[in-house]
Amino acid sequence: MSALRALPSRYPQARGALLPILTRLQEWRGHLTPADMRLAGELVGVAAADVFSVVTFYTMYRQRPVGRFPLGVCRNIACWVNGSEQLVATVRETLGIGPGETTPDGLFSLEEVECLGSCGSAPCLEIDSCYFEQQSPVSVKALLARLKAGAGDAAATLAAAHADAAAELRRARDGRP
Amino acid sequence: MENYLSTEFRRATPLFLEEARAKGRYRTAQRVFETLTPEQVVDEVKNSGLRGRGGAWFPTGIKWSFMPKEPLKGPSYLVINADEGEPGTFKDRQIMEKDPHLLLEGILIGSFAIRAETAFLYIRGEYKLAHDTLAQAIAELEAAGILGDAAFGTKRKMRIVLHRGAGAYICGEETALLNSLEGRRGEPRPKPPFPAVWGAFGRPTSVNNVETLANVPAILEKGAAWYKSAGTAQAPGHLLFGVSGAVERPGCFELPLGTTARELVERWAGGVKGGRRMKAFIPGGASTGFLPPDRLDVPMDPESLRKEGTMLGTGGIIVIPEGVEIVDAARVFSRFFRHETCGQCSPCREGSAWSDQVVGRFQRGEGRTEDFVLLDAIMRGSKQRTICVFPEAFAGPLGSAVKHFKDDLMAVSARRAAADAGSGAAAHGTASHG
Repeated sequence: MSALRALPSRYPQARGALLPILTRLQEWRGHLTPADMRLAGELVGVAAADVFSVVTFYTMYRQRPVGRFPLGVCRNIACWVNGSEQLVATVRETLGIGPGETTPDGLFSLEEVECLGSCGSAPCLEIDSCYFEQQSPVSVKALLARLKAGAGDAAATLAAAHADAAAELRRARDGRP
Repeated sequence: MENYLSTEFRRATPLFLEEARAKGRYRTAQRVFETLTPEQVVDEVKNSGLRGRGGAWFPTGIKWSFMPKEPLKGPSYLVINADEGEPGTFKDRQIMEKDPHLLLEGILIGSFAIRAETAFLYIRGEYKLAHDTLAQAIAELEAAGILGDAAFGTKRKMRIVLHRGAGAYICGEETALLNSLEGRRGEPRPKPPFPAVWGAFGRPTSVNNVETLANVPAILEKGAAWYKSAGTAQAPGHLLFGVSGAVERPGCFELPLGTTARELVERWAGGVKGGRRMKAFIPGGASTGFLPPDRLDVPMDPESLRKEGTMLGTGGIIVIPEGVEIVDAARVFSRFFRHETCGQCSPCREGSAWSDQVVGRFQRGEGRTEDFVLLDAIMRGSKQRTICVFPEAFAGPLGSAVKHFKDDLMAVSARRAAADAGSGAAAHGTASHG
């Protein structure tokens, strides 16, 4: 809370801190509630309705709960040419969910997202802005199994899986001419 | 000319301050702060011919010269556009994730040139790794006293505020970015007033792209004449070209402006994946549209691509292989632009949605020749009738698909209609959606 209160002073006008405040509030619960929006409005001195108009503009703000591991598969051109539709199909086969859906155990949700800037390492799947790049149906299946097994400590499991995926991508790149 | 942008791209971990200084980083910025005037920096950058790498290719030194000079009546700001979101573009990310101090040194010199004591670095929300890397690098500079009340021990104050976006392609448009930085909806502002007069928080502001600023330390270190020895006469220097899509070795390649698309695709990216033939390529990000493979010898610089009726954009080539239909690729884009229009101007909001529906018709085998007239009317009816150039962006892939692949669009539509008719009523049921 004190970290949130310090943010407005970084900007010439307090309102500049609105996006960073909303981002941090969302990190706590995974989505933003009306109370979060009122609080954000109070911290920067704007009406809750105004905050709501901002929240609805940006795709990364969510107003409904998502899975503990919210999967985002890029559907834009480079990922699409390299098989992003197969990644979505793999998630569907493995977890039984399509875009916009959450598994009954609340562990996973799926979304198709627009370009993540991972075109040179397509196709890309992201979870809370951790990129898993150059994915395949096989790697996605393994990732989902690992996340499910380690769901007790979701943050640590995600961080470890992400580090391994980054190392794997580096090995694949360094090995090439 | 040796590479000066991508020297650290193959690293496993970012180049942080101690090692960066050992490699000579910040020597140039220190010399600038201690011995030069803002005018001298602006003149050197003007003489170098550096142009903005965000896609508009406006001369950077001229942009800086619009900023107020002494006596200042209040603060001026540098805003760094790190809202990289043009499909096919992933260059700024490499700089920020691998070589944050290259960008930060450029920011220091740029701020000095426009007399700004505060720089706002606006980074797209999805770039968490780049954000965290920059946060660490900025903290290093604060601890070293390079940022703070006495930058490089001079009387000049300098601070950098790192700011994360929250997911919106349109925030790459500089005035939308400024609204977003101010905590508002990312809707572009009418111009004039231009940011140099009324920018961030109502103050004079220069908005510069990440790669543009990454060029600045080398220009100040080695001089305008050195810089002009690479690239074309009108667009000097190196560019971080991207090659993605169906190629053997996708990636980011630092090469002189004017390198041909063929050299990038065939030599650097290893050619079309799996030895397939190329159906089309996109020269510089989604909004630059499709070109047929017989244009591969076009030099990748702003002027040469304008002659082809398109733009260099961000220099991100995307390769579409044989076997992928243009109509399906065009639908990826029309859906994208429909999703990303900010919606404040009706011609763009409605035009992006209508054109997506028309492309969808072709995709389902329901294309009609009169649809080409309709598409043309949508594009003409929305271009230059809105606050920003978003309609020009969505018209890129649409217009070029019609211009270069008209027969292909009709043939694919007819083939799908025939397949549909052959497969009976059930197929018709699904085909009427979307």
